[in-house]
Amino acid sequence: MSTDENLGFQSGVPIPGLNPPSNQFGNAFCGAGSGLIREGLGAYGKRICGSSSQYVQSNIIKCFSDPQYYFQVNAHYVRNKLKIILFPFLHRGHWTRITEPIGGRLSYNPPINDINAPDLYIPFMTFATYLVLAGISLGLSGKFSPEALNWQFVKGMASWLFQAMLLKASLTSLGGGEAPLLDMIAYAGYTFTGLCVAVVGRITLSYAYYLIVIWTSMCSGIFLAKTIKLTLYAEARSYDVTIHNYLLLGIAFSPFPFIFCLSNPTGNWIS
Amino acid sequence: MTKEFAVPPVVFPSGGNPSAGSNNIQQRRVATAPFQPPRSSTSSIPFMSFDIGSAAASSSSGPLFGGPIGSGGSVPGGTSFEDEEPLLDELGIHPDQIWRKTKSILNPFRANPAVHKDSDLSGPILLYMSLCLFQLLAGKIQFGVILGWIVVSSIFLYVVFNMLAGRNGNLDLHRCTSVVGYCLLPVVILSAASLFVPQGGTFRFAVAGVFVLWATRVCTALMVALADGGDEHRGLIAYACFLIYTLFSLLVIF
Repeated sequence: MSTDENLGFQSGVPIPGLNPPSNQFGNAFCGAGSGLIREGLGAYGKRICGSSSQYVQSNIIKCFSDPQYYFQVNAHYVRNKLKIILFPFLHRGHWTRITEPIGGRLSYNPPINDINAPDLYIPFMTFATYLVLAGISLGLSGKFSPEALNWQFVKGMASWLFQAMLLKASLTSLGGGEAPLLDMIAYAGYTFTGLCVAVVGRITLSYAYYLIVIWTSMCSGIFLAKTIKLTLYAEARSYDVTIHNYLLLGIAFSPFPFIFCLSNPTGNWIS
Repeated sequence: MTKEFAVPPVVFPSGGNPSAGSNNIQQRRVATAPFQPPRSSTSSIPFMSFDIGSAAASSSSGPLFGGPIGSGGSVPGGTSFEDEEPLLDELGIHPDQIWRKTKSILNPFRANPAVHKDSDLSGPILLYMSLCLFQLLAGKIQFGVILGWIVVSSIFLYVVFNMLAGRNGNLDLHRCTSVVGYCLLPVVILSAASLFVPQGGTFRFAVAGVFVLWATRVCTALMVALADGGDEHRGLIAYACFLIYTLFSLLVIF
């Protein structure tokens, strides 16, 4: 069990050309950190982990790399990452993620050591902050009701998942198909920081906030494009430059509709 | 005279086989409950039933409608009423413990994690009902909403805490819900106070802010003290608690 715990620290990001030994990894996923997965899966977890079917285990690895990796953060990382997300042009350093060989395989450093690594704490917290701010904005315009806030939750979740699927689909169709899903969910969730700023702008200034929307979606777009560019060039097999550029352009403009729609919270279930 | 209608002889299990006649009618006039489950010492399921009327139960297992017989002196086979635990103990509700835990939340500057070591959910349910009551006084019927939000937010805090704490995070959901529920006390006081604060002023927001900060401070202190692995992520956990209690205060303010 101790070797499994050691493996638990790494993310499941495989470099093209290296196949992770699926059996070992299945155990690492099952034995790794979070009590949530241990308790939450319960009996099903035992069945999934204990099953010797390679298909099941390799599918779990493909869908979810170890979620524990994405929560190894500290306050310093959170502060600096927020600065990068909101002002990506001020980032002086490089955008590549640091890899280091652990256990004979190259793997990415956890977020606590590497400012460019994605994490899941910031997306979750900014999503919840967006819900609170949307509640305040609804209340100040007199449209607050708990059902309205529940609908905002559903809409926010749906757009988050949609954006993550968009990123994952575009990377899969172009690249090697090995971009981990949780990475895409993390990158898509980073646009919620810009969204929170936009909602604050809507609360404080009533019409100049459109400028803030344009500004924050531009920043989120630049951030996304720069990170996806690295992922693309690290993992893509074909080097078709024009399609890559169009894709990056599309990704850079993608936060705009989400931020525009979501920063106007109304009480209805659509729009 | 007694044989005007053909009454089949009724066999009582313990009383032998009484002959048809005045014996039967006398016994039939005894006030019995319409249904008495078989109470016997040979029964494997301990069944609590209460004597209705003065008749004591028959001790042998018999037909279901045997019932107690008029002048029976037989000892009841199951547990008697005096031997049972007090109701609150049996339900696991300890009012003095609830009172002690609630009093410990009242001090925002010093948390008392020793009192909260064993988690219980009856205090949070009490606080939830009083929050709903104060919301009702304000004209908002939000029973289901508040319960749903408590469940969702405690699951959220559970996930975030355990993920941040990593390998040695040992918070369990019962304790998490218990702490989140008890720290709702400032929000309950806020909802009581907001009945008297005028709507739509900055004073309302300021009052709410004070209570939210109080709840956040106590919740973080308890979380970090009660479960391992939370020490180096104090600020991150505090922000999560702050979001949860701001959400509840939104229900109160607007």
